[in-house]
Amino acid sequence: MVVLNFTLSEEGVAVLHDALACMFKFSDDVCMEARPDKLTFTTLNISKSAYVCFTFAGTRFFSRYNFEGNAQYRDRFFCQLYIKSLLSVFRPRQGSGDPARDKDATIERCDVAIDDGPGKKSRLVARIARRNGITASHSLPFETKPPTHAKFDKNEAKNHWTISSRTLRQLMDHFGPGIELLDINTDDEARVVNFTCFTEKAQKRGANSNEAVLKKPLHTNIAVEMDEFDDVDVQDKLHIIISVKDFRGILQHAQITSGELATNYSNPGRPMKLSYSADGVLCEFILMTVGEKDAMTQRHKNPQLNAAKSAAKQPGLDSVSHRASSVVNSNQQQQQQQQQQQRTQDPRNTQRQPTQQKKDTPAARLRQPQFEIRPQPPPPPATARTDSSQLFVAQGDDDEQWEPVNDDDDDEGQNARLEWNATDEPNPSGIRISSYLNKPTAPQSEVPERLLSGLEPTQRLEEV
Amino acid sequence: MRFKTDLKNIRTFSKLTAALNSLEKIAWVRLDDDTVRFTVIPDTGSQVWASLSVDLIFDNYHLQSAEQNNTINLELPLGPLQRALKSAANSNQANLRLTKRDGVPMLSMTIHTMTKDGAQDGRGPAGGGGAFGGGAGGGRNNNNFGEPDDPFGDASDLFQQESLELTMKREREKIITQDIPVRVLHPDTVETIMQPKVREPDVHIQLPPLLQLKAISDRFTKLALTTAGAGRGAAQNPKLELSANMHGSLRLRLVTETLDITSVWQGLENPELDPAQLSTPLEEHPSAKFKQAGPDKWATVRVDGKDWSRVLSVGRLEGRVIACFADDHALILYVYVANVDDANAEDVVTYYVSSYST
Repeated sequence: MVVLNFTLSEEGVAVLHDALACMFKFSDDVCMEARPDKLTFTTLNISKSAYVCFTFAGTRFFSRYNFEGNAQYRDRFFCQLYIKSLLSVFRPRQGSGDPARDKDATIERCDVAIDDGPGKKSRLVARIARRNGITASHSLPFETKPPTHAKFDKNEAKNHWTISSRTLRQLMDHFGPGIELLDINTDDEARVVNFTCFTEKAQKRGANSNEAVLKKPLHTNIAVEMDEFDDVDVQDKLHIIISVKDFRGILQHAQITSGELATNYSNPGRPMKLSYSADGVLCEFILMTVGEKDAMTQRHKNPQLNAAKSAAKQPGLDSVSHRASSVVNSNQQQQQQQQQQQRTQDPRNTQRQPTQQKKDTPAARLRQPQFEIRPQPPPPPATARTDSSQLFVAQGDDDEQWEPVNDDDDDEGQNARLEWNATDEPNPSGIRISSYLNKPTAPQSEVPERLLSGLEPTQRLEEV
Repeated sequence: MRFKTDLKNIRTFSKLTAALNSLEKIAWVRLDDDTVRFTVIPDTGSQVWASLSVDLIFDNYHLQSAEQNNTINLELPLGPLQRALKSAANSNQANLRLTKRDGVPMLSMTIHTMTKDGAQDGRGPAGGGGAFGGGAGGGRNNNNFGEPDDPFGDASDLFQQESLELTMKREREKIITQDIPVRVLHPDTVETIMQPKVREPDVHIQLPPLLQLKAISDRFTKLALTTAGAGRGAAQNPKLELSANMHGSLRLRLVTETLDITSVWQGLENPELDPAQLSTPLEEHPSAKFKQAGPDKWATVRVDGKDWSRVLSVGRLEGRVIACFADDHALILYVYVANVDDANAEDVVTYYVSSYST
């Protein structure tokens, strides 16, 4: 019997997709919890140091929302799903690569129903009608499992401030690569709030050799004046340290909603809450802050350990009910994924869509999907595209065009190179140009055809 | 040892850093009273000696050192410097000083900057729309329709301008500190590093726009990579043949087993040499002989396609580039950086391009 059904508009699907994409940065699976008035998605990361909760208001967010309940689930219904499969179902548009066709493929409406009960297969069924007349039905199996909620005591968290999420997001752009920790602190007179990014990683190697000193990442501090915050009350000289990766993940989503982001926190080693809301959606994050002791151990930890492990050293969040041990991924997979995410969260990569696509691919490689997932859209014909862009570059102040060719593939060949102080003894190389000088030019028919198509001989150099 | 300066022409500084960073990750920086010199010497590939007058990129420059001639030698990672300069790119003010944090020397860049709020652009409060009077300058701002600084001001625009200022009032200057790790070098360690000495060139010629040259060179390099059979060492690092004559022509050529392609530029300038700077009379200079020999007398070198691509990334500096060819021996590029404040300043980035025998 149908326990829950709701309808999403085109925009609703996009908002849900953004929320799921944000949660995917923390975990692989999500708990969906339906109540008569709201639908909640929660997830906890594997080290239990970050908890994410998105609440969608029943009447405000959905075009239609109906929680039936049954004998088993009278007040609430809950289940656990893979975020990746939800992401592929609730895609705002089908990426075919052709913008004209994409426009037709936008979603007209999306109906979701949960069918459950004795003797029935437990399924989440999503029917998505697109403007091009195609209606796709997806049926996802789920696991019935009570959600885990992190506890947060607002009375304890006396420190708080609110600021525009866009401002905060732009500040993050100033932080360079290779950093792990963000220290939010105030100075003596509490005139400014400092955001300091640093890492303890390279320290140990740095002690060994002078060279490594130069490999340390940028140490960045940003001072923001108190009166740029709303509703600010922060204890003097308090240092709160959180993971940069988590913070970036949150801000990347927060800036889409462009609302005010509010924080509440108490002391090191105690949870910190970040929240913001958009139309009918409440987004809450509870992050464990690094305790003062932990900060010390991190200073001495093996530099090889990556962020995932350091996060694991942090005390986990208090949880209401213990999560069953059936965490699907092995630790290693999680780590790989986190590394991948770290890469894709590079601040230069501010466009959301490519980030998402990039992330999907390695995850697919890591784990055989248990669910029936639609195949990824085929990548655009790379050769044709890159070829035509190689010779005739777009004008403008685009720094990309100055990047060296094939920088990644940088192995030295056997050819002899003339050193600046070398003798002028000529070294034989693989092919001698002189042997070709007297040959007639190869007839053009021998040139592979794809090269011809790549070069557009009609274009004049002046147009380059 | 003290070093403190304000930054100016951050765009130029940033582009220079990016160009150097494409060749090598760590640079040797030598500061003295008049010049700042950046040197990168990769293990393989072209080396660069950039010698800039202090006032090209610095202002209120203070330098104090116990070393001879008041110099400071630093080893500096270019990636973090580039990153820090990116932060400073649209700043109101930025300065740089040598300091120590936890006993480790740092180049600390302090940047005063604003954030952009939402859809507004980043010109700060001064860039607000208030300056535009109603109806002024019709075609000048034709891309501004519908934006708050639309010159065709009517009542609704005025209202938008007001709300813009309200949001600006809340925007405060942020102070960003970017600490770049550095190593202070002892004079003895850098004493032995000498700028290469090369014989007088056979041909000197002003290169065509580097963006064009780079696009075509990169195209040739990629062609060589794609057409070559797998597993042959030579194909992995394709070599381009670069020639020039004293009659305004530059020739770029790629020869592989299956293809032979050439691009020729004509009508380029062979700049006059200054006889005062020559050790030999002008008519005995090698270039004079090449000129006499006519347009079929080419000076040729072979360069590594990938390295050449990294060299050409200096084009982002938008300087005038003179290439000096010593036939079958060496190629040197002199990139003259425009200095708006001092037209006589000799700001030159010298590339000693690694070349290969034919």
